[in-house]
Amino acid sequence: MATTTMTMAKALNEGLRRAMEKNPKVLLMGEDIGKLGGVFRITDGLQKDFGEDRVIDAPLAESAIVGTAVGLAVRGYRTVVEMQFDGFVYPAFDQIVSQVAKLHKRTDGVYTMALVIRLPFQGGIGAIEHHSESPEAYFAHTAGLRVVSCSTPHDAYWMIQQSIAHDDPIVFCEPKSRYWEKGEVDLETTSRGLFDAEVRREGADVSVIAYGAMVKTALKAAETAASEGVSVEVVDARSLAPLDVETMAASVEKTGRLVVVGESPRTASIGSEIVATLSERCFYSLRAPGMRVSGYHVPYPPTRIEEDFRPTPDRVLDAIDRVMGYES
Amino acid sequence: MDDQLVQLLTPEGERVAHPEYESTLGGDEIFGLYRDMVIVRRMCNESTSLQRQGQLALWAPVQGQEAAQIGPGRAMHPMDFSFPTYREHGIAWCRGVPPADMLRLFRAVSNGGWDPQKYRHSVPTVVLGNQTLHAVGYAMGVQRDGADEAVLTFFGDGASSQGDVLEAFVWAASFNAPIVFLCQNNQWAISEPSSLQSKIPLYHRAQGFGFPGVRVDGNDVLAMYEVSRRALDAARVGGGPTLIEAYTYRMGAHTTSDDPTRYRIDAEVEVWKHRDPIERVKALLAREYKKKTAAFDEVAAEADAIATKLREDVLAMDRPDPITMFDHAYAAPHPLIDEGRQEMIDLGVSAGVS
Amino acid sequence: MSERIFDLPDVGEGLTEAEIVEWKVAVGDVVALNQPIVDIETAKATVELPSPFAGTVVALHGAVGDVIEVDKPLITFEVGGSEAAAPEVAAKSDEAPESETAAAPEEKKREAVLIGYGVADEDALPTRRHRRQGPSAPPPSAPTPTPVQATPGLAPRSTPPVRLYAKQHGLDIATMTGSGRDGLITRDDVERALAGTGAARPGAAIAAPTTTSRFVGHDLAPWDAGPAEERIPVRGVLRAMSEAMVQSAFSAPHAAVWVRVDVTRTMDLLASLKVHPGLEGLRLSPMTITALALCDAARHYPGVNSSFDDAAQEVIVRRTINLGIAADTPKGLTVPNIKGADRLDLVGMAAAINQLVDKARTNATTPNEMIGTTISITNVGPFGVDAAIPILPPGTGAILAIGTVAPTPWVVNGEVVVRQVMEIALSFDHRMIDGAMASRVLGHVARFIADPAPAMIVG
Repeated sequence: MATTTMTMAKALNEGLRRAMEKNPKVLLMGEDIGKLGGVFRITDGLQKDFGEDRVIDAPLAESAIVGTAVGLAVRGYRTVVEMQFDGFVYPAFDQIVSQVAKLHKRTDGVYTMALVIRLPFQGGIGAIEHHSESPEAYFAHTAGLRVVSCSTPHDAYWMIQQSIAHDDPIVFCEPKSRYWEKGEVDLETTSRGLFDAEVRREGADVSVIAYGAMVKTALKAAETAASEGVSVEVVDARSLAPLDVETMAASVEKTGRLVVVGESPRTASIGSEIVATLSERCFYSLRAPGMRVSGYHVPYPPTRIEEDFRPTPDRVLDAIDRVMGYES
Repeated sequence: MDDQLVQLLTPEGERVAHPEYESTLGGDEIFGLYRDMVIVRRMCNESTSLQRQGQLALWAPVQGQEAAQIGPGRAMHPMDFSFPTYREHGIAWCRGVPPADMLRLFRAVSNGGWDPQKYRHSVPTVVLGNQTLHAVGYAMGVQRDGADEAVLTFFGDGASSQGDVLEAFVWAASFNAPIVFLCQNNQWAISEPSSLQSKIPLYHRAQGFGFPGVRVDGNDVLAMYEVSRRALDAARVGGGPTLIEAYTYRMGAHTTSDDPTRYRIDAEVEVWKHRDPIERVKALLAREYKKKTAAFDEVAAEADAIATKLREDVLAMDRPDPITMFDHAYAAPHPLIDEGRQEMIDLGVSAGVS
Repeated sequence: MSERIFDLPDVGEGLTEAEIVEWKVAVGDVVALNQPIVDIETAKATVELPSPFAGTVVALHGAVGDVIEVDKPLITFEVGGSEAAAPEVAAKSDEAPESETAAAPEEKKREAVLIGYGVADEDALPTRRHRRQGPSAPPPSAPTPTPVQATPGLAPRSTPPVRLYAKQHGLDIATMTGSGRDGLITRDDVERALAGTGAARPGAAIAAPTTTSRFVGHDLAPWDAGPAEERIPVRGVLRAMSEAMVQSAFSAPHAAVWVRVDVTRTMDLLASLKVHPGLEGLRLSPMTITALALCDAARHYPGVNSSFDDAAQEVIVRRTINLGIAADTPKGLTVPNIKGADRLDLVGMAAAINQLVDKARTNATTPNEMIGTTISITNVGPFGVDAAIPILPPGTGAILAIGTVAPTPWVVNGEVVVRQVMEIALSFDHRMIDGAMASRVLGHVARFIADPAPAMIVG
């Protein structure tokens, strides 16, 4: 059993390396990813080993990074583009939504948009503006794209490889506040598919669904809830589009209560989609309405007060209190 | 260096003539520029220390680029307006922004830091190139108001690849906007050399868009002043846009999160040390204007005092009440804002005063 | 003079630890503000840290090569009192350290984390800081003292699982009264409704009947008005019926045959006779024709007009029909008979039945009319019922039940048409009458009422 402990950043690095070893058509493109190895060192050492033709330092134009990746895909290359930070993906939004998402359909399946857009997302690193965004809902909302998020080093290692191997374009959301956290990685096998949700903690009273950095937040809340006599089941969504409704529904049918945790503002969020879908699917099981714990409806604040914007275990517990308080 | 580079003062502090430009400043004014640069450098160093001491989230040093900013900063008229990136501490200083306010962004207590209308200097823009479009739009407003004002916007060599910047050029040319584009080519965009962004000198691009471009020794504050003054004056009277490429060097890291030793060689930094903007002016002042050590010491002391005050002010910057995150998210009342505020109060996160 | 600890800061947006590469100072050194004190290596960079204090080094919290976590002590200084400008980096520069407010413990930790840089130390943050106060907190879930009826026009308030539960048990949640907050119908409310206990009676959406009804010779009080449990003495007619039924049911093995008959021609005949001038005031019904039919069948099969004498161990066959007519009277069920019904024609039969029924209803039945029944007929048609398998009046061998006449799809000449159809059933004492005989008798009756006119004329 080749299990080892590594940080999420290292796990991503290793996953990219494996993917590049397996398939010579896999390229990386992004700002500062070559010589510097990326501002988070995710691509550290890869240009040295695979060369400048395969690990490309891009001029500073996000739209061009994605747009040229489209052309490379037409030519049969699988490009993993890095958006340096979530807040910098927006210049590329047009290419992503107008082209990456639609070209497979527009060409009746001839063009395969097999590219991965890596986004360090969510907050919690005390950065300045635009470095702590949660734009995943924009992409989940766009038909033609798939959106996933890893929450552990093991998932990071496997999901990046699975994403690269997949023929659909995938927006790969990496919780940057977890980059340096260590975890066990099984380098040989994984039991999870790319679009599977995963029950991280079993429970009986309420299902808390989270993704990215919020999985750990949910687990912390579950610990405290247990000491207060409430049994919380934590589900890591992993795939934001498409959602693994089966796993989530099975959990809600078991517990009868639902809380969803995400950092982005609540309106039209992934959490809203999960609550609506499970309300329909699990209507007769619900003992309370589904609750969303989310960022407030404001631009991401100065990070000195970001911990009161991002859901904390306390706010998750507050939502748990509220769903448990419904009579049935 | 490029022989098209406008230079009026060599790195050794000796004046040189240029066919098109000449220095119009007197001794006191030049001493004033020296003082500005010393203070900005001192504040920058203090800020780096503060970050290393955990008092700032981040700092983007301006070290080495003082002349590239003080020159145009002092060439601006009071009613002119500037649109910076996140590194124009020298311009902010010239516009009168209090030093502590410059650091509110980096202290992570604000996403802006000062009143842009009051200082006629916009808040920092972190997303590369966005501000150039804002600047052109503002300039189009100035045109429609018939005002005697010019607009100055900044971006780096890296940002010159961004679509927004190129679109700003299109607009500025098509509308003959009263704007000066000032590109500080400090040779590096984090780890990417400027050669990756452009195969030709950046100032040549202006011609492709139909307006003049000029490359200036960015470490020569006299040249920076004169070229900026002429370009701003031209804009003011309907002469349209100019691109000034300040050829300079980022002596420090991109930000305090960056480690330049990973991608550039020390020898290159050494070369640019000999082109220091402050040293050459100091030499000129000593030789031509007979400034004595005492005068320079006085400036150093003043800079230290400003740095000490800056440190005090930064350390006194409290964590804002979290409920302030709702202030000004919208101009008009909004139900989700009320709801969010109430939740914070209910959860005991805030007492509700904002 | 006081000690100040400098915790390792996050120097690069999200770092969690750093390795000590080189100390630039030693214990005992006097250090100036911003003087370089150590080189550290992070995942991103090698960084030189400047001293946050002017003072004397008291302790170094790691050796070269050690990995220190962000927010943990790196170096301790002794700082002079005059160094007022020296910041207490690890202290709470904007919060009273001993603050006891609910927010304080978290704020305190915030300071130690240093201005929110890097990943906030989530493990150190208290997880449960506050429970929601204020109007949005759900009030304690005690049931309201008086159950609340659903407001007309609004959906009844309940939860999906409770609604489903009610529906699966055949209860309309809209008819229920909720004992939960604001009239919420809870699972308990449904359970109570199902158990039917008095504790919380379901509110009726339909008004209960207010009329009395007859039962065993008595008027019963309406549902809501009468006692939950009412006792009626077994006397008079009730006693007679119950005893007779017991005796008959437990002495004669009952069997039955039944058949549906197309009685369209009977109904047509009756309709035409009804308007016949000579037959005014004569109440004719299918019962009249069927009575004639039964008598005719008995003349053909006298064995059906028999009784079993258990004491004498003899079967008595009679060649006179005293036709019992089951009558629903105020006193209850009685079965008076028409003596010699076999000699009656249509008009006579009609008159006799009518007279018998009228007398029974007015309690004018004579004792003689109550004895000697040889064969009976009962009509459940007026109640909308198809047929019955009646219990034999004691001392008889057979009883014919006729049901309601209804338009029914029927096959005539290979085609489906609508006919007037009636079901008839013959209960019989199987001690002496077997299924073959019973079937023949029933078949005879069926053929008679299927085509009554020739039957009555020819026989």
